[in-house]
Amino acid sequence: MTVDTAPLRILLSEAGYRFVDPPILSDATVFLEVAGEDLRRRLYLTSGPDGRELGLRPEFTIPVCLHHLASGDAHRVADYAYIGPVFRHRAGASGEFHQAGVESFGRTDRATADGDVLALAIDAANLYGVANPDVRIGDSLLFSAVIDALGIAPGWKRRLSRAFGDPARLAAAVERVSGGTTAGAPAHAGFLAALDGTDHAAAHRIVEDLLSIAGIRSVGGRTAGEIADRFLEQSSLAAGGGLDARARAAIERFLAIEGRPDVALAALRSFAAEETLDIAGVLDGFEKRSEGLARRGIDFSRLHFSSGFGRRLDYYSGFVFEIHDPDGIAGQPVIGGGRYDRLLPALGARTSVPAVGFSLWLDRVKVTS
Amino acid sequence: MTDAPLDAPLILAVPSKGRLQENANAFFARAGLPVTQSGSERSYRGRIAGLPDVEIAYLSASEITRELAAGTVHLGVTGRDLVEEEVTDFGQRLELVLPLGFGHADVVVAVPEGWIDVATMADLDDVAADFRPRHGRWLTVATKYVNLTRRFFHEHGIADYRIVESLGATEGAPASGAADLIVDITTTGSTLSANALKVLTDGVILRSEAHLVASLPANWSGAARGALRTILDRIEAEAAGRSLREVRADVSDAEGAALVAADRFGATTPFGTSKGPLTLHCPAGKVYQCAEWLRTGAGARTVTVSRLDMLFSATSPLTAHLLGRLDAYTG
Repeated sequence: MTVDTAPLRILLSEAGYRFVDPPILSDATVFLEVAGEDLRRRLYLTSGPDGRELGLRPEFTIPVCLHHLASGDAHRVADYAYIGPVFRHRAGASGEFHQAGVESFGRTDRATADGDVLALAIDAANLYGVANPDVRIGDSLLFSAVIDALGIAPGWKRRLSRAFGDPARLAAAVERVSGGTTAGAPAHAGFLAALDGTDHAAAHRIVEDLLSIAGIRSVGGRTAGEIADRFLEQSSLAAGGGLDARARAAIERFLAIEGRPDVALAALRSFAAEETLDIAGVLDGFEKRSEGLARRGIDFSRLHFSSGFGRRLDYYSGFVFEIHDPDGIAGQPVIGGGRYDRLLPALGARTSVPAVGFSLWLDRVKVTS
Repeated sequence: MTDAPLDAPLILAVPSKGRLQENANAFFARAGLPVTQSGSERSYRGRIAGLPDVEIAYLSASEITRELAAGTVHLGVTGRDLVEEEVTDFGQRLELVLPLGFGHADVVVAVPEGWIDVATMADLDDVAADFRPRHGRWLTVATKYVNLTRRFFHEHGIADYRIVESLGATEGAPASGAADLIVDITTTGSTLSANALKVLTDGVILRSEAHLVASLPANWSGAARGALRTILDRIEAEAAGRSLREVRADVSDAEGAALVAADRFGATTPFGTSKGPLTLHCPAGKVYQCAEWLRTGAGARTVTVSRLDMLFSATSPLTAHLLGRLDAYTG
């Protein structure tokens, strides 16, 4: 199968993106460090003569980031485009396929940059015959702002944020931190009850002392202090110190909000007002981005916002989107994109760098010639 | 796979050492398939008496798994853990013909006992996610079951970890600092407790035991298929004999009693009900209830129960199923 990429090259170049061609074979460690062990089963791995683990690039974003970091100041404004093969183990499909896309770094006018990239992605999908795309958008900043404004304890916030983007997992996490399932606690129930009412610092010392008195030989790489921390966190859950009913109801109400961006925004604003949550800052950003999209003539009836839509990779930091072809395969977006301000720091930049981009699956578009 | 000579023998791979070999030999002997090592004790080839179309290859259990997947042996005795670990598409390439009742072991996730805050995989997920921000490195798991670990952790949504491949004495890794926790095999749990490790309550990845496994991509010549029929026929006869008891009783209404026995105890009447005392084949676990009912409910004065060494049936579901898969297999 060959897909004509000439019009796409013209589109991306004219939008001001400069084409780069990062190496196909590179140090595998960087992909694994960023994405974790789970990526390993999809990577094509080999080793260099010095025993270093090498891999075929499974995507372009990290290689383009590395190129950006190696060629100048991480914070400079730069817009890159790419087209080329990527490699992943895929059951029942070829391990080699092509992707195209853009990465835009350094623009501090984030809401506008988000809109620019989404508009360009819609144009790119159009080139491949997706005339009426189904565009799904989400923004994890809203979720973070809501749980911040609810004053949820840091331990629970961490758990909820981590599950964000996977509805089933998030529902389970909400259940857990509401004290709905206190698995594990009964084993130490008596001890936990005895600690109840002790102030946190004292309780912490007691648990640490107990671990050392018990002569615990092996704790892996964890310290007695962090074990004590989590143990006491569980004790507070068991004692009813988890999410209160109001916070839980507010989270569930928030997660049910969806629809066209303008409709969703109105719903979010009344949600914030009725729950008296100060999330005006992120809502203004959301509004600004929507306005930008409207100015570019993007039809809002094509856009579907879901407050629970997000990606569970650590480096995504807000706005995300997927473009589906209504005539394509369900569950396989033609384009995926979003904001990932935390990726460049993970790869060596000193501080967070604004970054947004998308990638188009050339093996999922119709062959148009 | 049509280039196999019609008389190419069936190759049966058997573990070459240890308890697994003893158990496998005992199993084949019970099934009337006595395995003899050819030549010296250290030879890696053998035979089954009376079956000229079968060759025995002595290999290590993990070699057996790989050779089955590659199709260089037809049948083999190996652990389910090795099959699932080493052959990612084992469902397509291999047929787990029969569990053999030995070599039981669990593949488990075990963490240091000192982690009093961790009892479940969900707890571990928490710890894993916090680990990198706290320590500047990933949580590490020592294991030789790389694929099983990855699959299981993925099912539990745990992404923040790295695997450290371990080729022996995995259980010592947390104490030595080589890794934070382990995924390993355990039979009694005593090695784990000796190393101050505990199994997570939902941390059993797989309950494994030795299986007779067939390779679908192997060259199944006419001779090999013939030998397969004989081997499975005897194995099935032995397995059926092991699980059933013959019950005989002098009931007056044999037909009526047989119907009730079938309904309540799953007993069958292999020789019909027309003449002589009623003969039933009853699942071993239901024998006492059955014998009780035959006397109190069906008026029998005497009930005898005997073990069956072997039970041969006209039909062989195992063979029919496996031959069907061989015919359907296209590589």
